[in-house]
Amino acid sequence: MSNRSSEPGRWEHGPLPANVRIGANSVVTNDNAFRRFFSERDPALVIGANCTMDGSQFALGKEARIEIGDYCYFTNAVLLCELELRIGDYVVIGWNATIADTDFHPIAPAERIADAVACSPLGKGRERPPIVREPVIIEDDVWIGPNAAIMKGVRIGAGAFIEAGSMVTRDVPPRARVMGNPFQIIGEV
Amino acid sequence: MDAARRLPWDWYPGTIPENAVIDETAYVETSFSFFLYHSEEPVGARIGRGASTYLGTMFDVGPRGRVSLGDYALVHGARIICDAEVEIGDHALISWNVVLMDTYRASPDPAERRRELELVPMRWPRRFDANAPARPVRIGRNVWIGFDACVLPGVTIGEGAIVGARSVVIEDVAPYTIVAGNPARVIRKLQM
Repeated sequence: MSNRSSEPGRWEHGPLPANVRIGANSVVTNDNAFRRFFSERDPALVIGANCTMDGSQFALGKEARIEIGDYCYFTNAVLLCELELRIGDYVVIGWNATIADTDFHPIAPAERIADAVACSPLGKGRERPPIVREPVIIEDDVWIGPNAAIMKGVRIGAGAFIEAGSMVTRDVPPRARVMGNPFQIIGEV
Repeated sequence: MDAARRLPWDWYPGTIPENAVIDETAYVETSFSFFLYHSEEPVGARIGRGASTYLGTMFDVGPRGRVSLGDYALVHGARIICDAEVEIGDHALISWNVVLMDTYRASPDPAERRRELELVPMRWPRRFDANAPARPVRIGRNVWIGFDACVLPGVTIGEGAIVGARSVVIEDVAPYTIVAGNPARVIRKLQM
């Protein structure tokens, strides 16, 4: 991770990937924003208007697609996507929060060995075992605190407030205030 | 630090802000730690004798913010989000990816937050305005905070306490107490 990541307007690794669409008055600042951008979908990443994607990383696998609404503000968010991530309007994501729509590796020990081999420098061409992917949906007006983690298959209802450091593994109702690991609902906004 | 307020060993071509008072025996690894700093207070940051800040430490300090590091305090890559006051005591040890925040920056009310988010893209640098309520965070002397922990607005951590890695501290911690967990709870008292 480059520590120059939050400098405004820096994107030094060539043109934006062709399958990225960025709306009017939106900015992406981070040398490494697209370093792990491997999606072959088109479009693969759609960012709405008036967004501030400060220091965030867009790590997309081959079949991944991320959609982000208008007026979002992310600070060094880590978006790890193998399938689908949908983020609404007016969503704030705090520093170093992670959103992942997959566990990246299988659960069963034998399959994990096969996966480790397939991922290794000696695994060229070997197919990886199937890996669970479930879309993550974050509705409008959600606030996600720094160091929080949102895991696969989760839907966060509109206006919910995810406290810093929370580990979110299940759906969160609209306007709920949650915190903890495992998270609990501690109130309403 | 030289007359131009540059650090001779710095990889980043920045300078130390005029209102940051850094003891001559302190070590600041890089001026990049001040990239987000825009305190307008007479002294927006004070770094004590023998204190040190390493790569990854960010002073994300608003116009009315004041951050202080006591003597021999060691900050090894914390994110300090400050619009009022964040005080770190003498001999405190703060690990990497720790978040110390005295403000949420944005309003807790979604409708109000919408209005703020509509103003942010009109500004450069793109920031929330610093009028959100802030409550000082105080980390006592001799406190040790493990990696990835978060300390939320208004929290005071008493002298000599230990905060376990990945904890989220939402309420005050008594002196010489070990807390851990998310939310953090008391594990035990330290023997003196």
